[in-house]
Amino acid sequence: MVATRGIDALVVLPFESEPLTSPVQAVAEQGIWVTVVDRGLTVEGIEDLYVAGDNSGFGQLAGEYFVENLDEGDNIVVFRGIPTTIDNERVDAFTAALDGSGINILDMQHGNWNRDDSFTVMQDFLSRFDDIDAVWASDDDMAIGVLAAIEQADRQDEMWVVGGAGMKEIIGRIRDGDPQLPANVSYPPAQISTAIELTALGLVSDTPVSGRFIIGSQLITPENAEQFYFEDSPF
Amino acid sequence: MTDATTTTPPRRMRLNLNVLGPLLAMVALIIIGATLNLSFLSAENLTNVAARSAFIGIIAVGMTFVITAGGIDLSVGAMAAFVAGVMIMVMNSLVPVMGAGVPLVLVGMAVALVVGIAAGLLNGVLISKVGIEAFIVTLGTMGIYRSLVTWLADGGTLSLDFALRGVYRPVYYDGILGLSWPIIVFAIVAIIGELAMRHTAFGRHCAAIGANEQVATYSAVKVARVRMATYAVLGMLVGLATIMYVPRLGSASGNTGVLWELEAIAAVIIGGTVLKGGFGRVWGTVVGVLILSLIGNILNLASIVSPYLNGAIQGVIVILAVVLQRERWSTTWKTWSPRAGSTRWSFFPSKASL
Amino acid sequence: MTDPVLSAEKVSRSFGPIQVLFDIDFDLCPGEVHALIGENGAGKSTMMKILGGYLDPTGGGLRMDGKPVSFADHRQAEAAGVIMIHQEFNLALQLTVEQNMFLGRELTRGPFLDHAAMQAESRRLLEALNCPLDPRLRISEISVPNRQMVEIARAMGRNAKVLIMDEPTAVLTGRETEILLDQIDRLRANGTAILYTSHKLDEIARIADRITVLRDGHLVAHASAADMTPDQMAEAMVGRELSDLFPEKNVAQTETVLEVENLTVPGHVRNASFTLRRGEVLGVAGLVGAGRTELMEGVVGLRNATGTVRVMGKPLPGGSVLAAREAGLVYLTEDRKDKGLLLGKSLRENLTLLALDKFTKVRIDKAAEDRALTKAFTDFDIRAGDREMHAGNLSGGNQQKLLLAKTMLADPDIVIIDEPTRGIDIGTKQQIYQFISRLAAEGKSVIVVSSELTEVMGLANRVMVMGRGYIAGELEGDAITENAILQLAMKKQDEEAVPA
Repeated sequence: MVATRGIDALVVLPFESEPLTSPVQAVAEQGIWVTVVDRGLTVEGIEDLYVAGDNSGFGQLAGEYFVENLDEGDNIVVFRGIPTTIDNERVDAFTAALDGSGINILDMQHGNWNRDDSFTVMQDFLSRFDDIDAVWASDDDMAIGVLAAIEQADRQDEMWVVGGAGMKEIIGRIRDGDPQLPANVSYPPAQISTAIELTALGLVSDTPVSGRFIIGSQLITPENAEQFYFEDSPF
Repeated sequence: MTDATTTTPPRRMRLNLNVLGPLLAMVALIIIGATLNLSFLSAENLTNVAARSAFIGIIAVGMTFVITAGGIDLSVGAMAAFVAGVMIMVMNSLVPVMGAGVPLVLVGMAVALVVGIAAGLLNGVLISKVGIEAFIVTLGTMGIYRSLVTWLADGGTLSLDFALRGVYRPVYYDGILGLSWPIIVFAIVAIIGELAMRHTAFGRHCAAIGANEQVATYSAVKVARVRMATYAVLGMLVGLATIMYVPRLGSASGNTGVLWELEAIAAVIIGGTVLKGGFGRVWGTVVGVLILSLIGNILNLASIVSPYLNGAIQGVIVILAVVLQRERWSTTWKTWSPRAGSTRWSFFPSKASL
Repeated sequence: MTDPVLSAEKVSRSFGPIQVLFDIDFDLCPGEVHALIGENGAGKSTMMKILGGYLDPTGGGLRMDGKPVSFADHRQAEAAGVIMIHQEFNLALQLTVEQNMFLGRELTRGPFLDHAAMQAESRRLLEALNCPLDPRLRISEISVPNRQMVEIARAMGRNAKVLIMDEPTAVLTGRETEILLDQIDRLRANGTAILYTSHKLDEIARIADRITVLRDGHLVAHASAADMTPDQMAEAMVGRELSDLFPEKNVAQTETVLEVENLTVPGHVRNASFTLRRGEVLGVAGLVGAGRTELMEGVVGLRNATGTVRVMGKPLPGGSVLAAREAGLVYLTEDRKDKGLLLGKSLRENLTLLALDKFTKVRIDKAAEDRALTKAFTDFDIRAGDREMHAGNLSGGNQQKLLLAKTMLADPDIVIIDEPTRGIDIGTKQQIYQFISRLAAEGKSVIVVSSELTEVMGLANRVMVMGRGYIAGELEGDAITENAILQLAMKKQDEEAVPA
């Protein structure tokens, strides 16, 4: 369908990998340049260029932060996103990083990367557990829901929250030294523009740009928060 | 005339069982919840469940009237997101003019109600005046409102001005006598709804239209006007739900209110309202909403089932409720044709024979 | 006489604790029409349902061709050649005539439907009934009498050995009834056994070979048709001698209460003008399709219409049933099941629906509603087993009385009653006639639209006859004769085409 428009290159972020694999393959077979962002296709070697955030690193960095800042026997709860490969990669890496640290994961539930769902789930966690030392919300939309629930229960002093993805509002609070939000994990959200730049480069120059580019995840703390704060972002 | 006033006990009992159905289901859930986790019965948890039921609950009360009158509204979730988006943008833009105070919050509330009523009226006019199927109209407006809010938010999130959030916050989190405002508002809406359904001409007319539109027309019921009113009332209640929703997290996005329409419809049906129209009960809807919230709450508190299966459990409950409902209709009214002898016809004093 | 093809021996039936049939013997022979008559609630429907396989007897049993038989359901009965034609049609409104006629036994050619063959067969069966309908029309697009014809044609298409007809002529006009009776004659000559029910006793006298009368679930009379006059049938049904069916006519006053001027209902009625006086009963006669119902619906605002309607001298705004009601003008529909009553709702809710504002300030006064129901039970002699029952569970006669009660609750000055006694028994008919007469005596005005000429002649001070789409003429006093009415109804129809 897309290919009939006479394009020279396609940059695609498959929301789900499986259903998009064969249409994208069809496009690639016509000799059109294909760049895949973030979520891989199920058949390897279709795309000319793969640009992705490091989801394992995303979970691992967060996990390491928890290990450093919590003691053995401390309790945490974990919020998962919408059930997808990305979510699985992040959570697997996070639990792997926690292995052997003696930190208890009380429960994991899906907040579906959604504020309202996470608010509800956190309310229920707060009813259920008397002692929570930290929350890995894994995403800033979920972190906002979680924070509102903690505030409602008036247990702000008891636990801190680590989100993810570097939402403007959250980064601002980290920069300002909010004790409830000590850190965040993100890979630069400008992935797509990076991918488009690289694609354009691949088309107009002879520079070899094909292959896999994994954009590393980074830990954001009050010290470096300023450089992750983008005033104009709608997120 | 004496035989006209006698009642037939078996039918009564069947009806009672049906009336008790949703209530029994709710009691069963409460017992299950209490067994699985002691904190389930804490005041904190129960108020949480009631408060989070309020948004869907307020909308579902309105939906009860729409469905009773033989209609449906798929647009309410998207409408709530849209109303929230417009409300936040208007309030933010007026902060420099009015300052972040109570008057501006009141303006925001008025905006929510007006936008809600207007959106509901749009559905109502297209359905009852232009004569397009309710399903199609509201499927269309669902898409329109969902896109509009995403567009207004530029694909991201619309957040309420920080100072305003502080002023507005108590509307969700505070209350009186230990009951938060959403619970109080939900209760008032439910009580008014129940009274309107059972004790006013409006409720009676909704049921008549849903049962048989032609009979209603021939009985001098203003069918188009009543039908339009059900959508307008629903729109207003969506506005009211949004007024309670916005102060919770102070934001709206393309993800706000996703699937609320289906939860509201499910609650209405679980409560015993007939999906095809003709019979509705608001208190049943309230129970339906609470049942849906309790299921989610219990699954969060107990984690006995994989969270992947939460949706499946809700689905089973909805279908069970509808099966029960079907049972009821087949036993009470479809068997009328053989004219069961309870209305034995002896018109004149009959002699034994000629 | 030949041996019976289907017979019932000592059949009883109870619903819960209540017995509705008591040891009934009944048989149907090939080439014979056996009429089963009785008042509403006498047990006719139950008897027919047992014979047709819809209900099991709780006592006694059936024999088919002399051998004991027990139908598991009506499909098995149909397979055995016993077909019942219901009073409430069993037709899918959105399907075509042809699709309905072959529903469940579609003709195919290979994997595909053989439309040509099914259409041809449908056409043939309908033409045999003198009913040249296009089989491609949807049921929703054809008139009620035509739907009845489709039902009958469908049964004939299935080569019925036994045909059970539940009041087939209730919705037919005189001419259509005649066609149907001719068709039954033909079926009888071909050896079909026919069970026939009707409230129209002259019809029974015309068609039946034998007659069985039920009353309160008991068989009270069984005779050869030649030995029973319609009067004797009626007496057997009600269990006493019937005094004159129609009450004495009142004299109308001079004041005009309703004036209709040049009313046109697009597609149905053109330029109709008439008046109605206080205390008058105006009969409206005409063939089905003459536009009687459409004219009356136009008058009360149920249909788009142009022209003027004045009630007590004041013009009525068009298109508002509510405005008509408030001016004191109400219309009682001929179609009580689809337009008159909410069958799945309680008696109380049905009773007050038209005049609900009289029971409402902000709240509906349910106590007042209950009193109104009690009063309606008395005033209209409504027999209901249970105050909380649904209107759909009432017998036809009681439904009609409930509809009357509902209409009268609006306290109208002018009542238009369309087919006041369709499908109800003779005892209730008499009550309704008395009621109409009493209304006129009280100074109200009544318009009676009816396909039963005896009814129009027996009740009306004046008769308005409609041809196709307009008023063909009026008759008053002694000029009201069957012949004069029919001449007016037929004459105009032949001269002019359907109005635009």
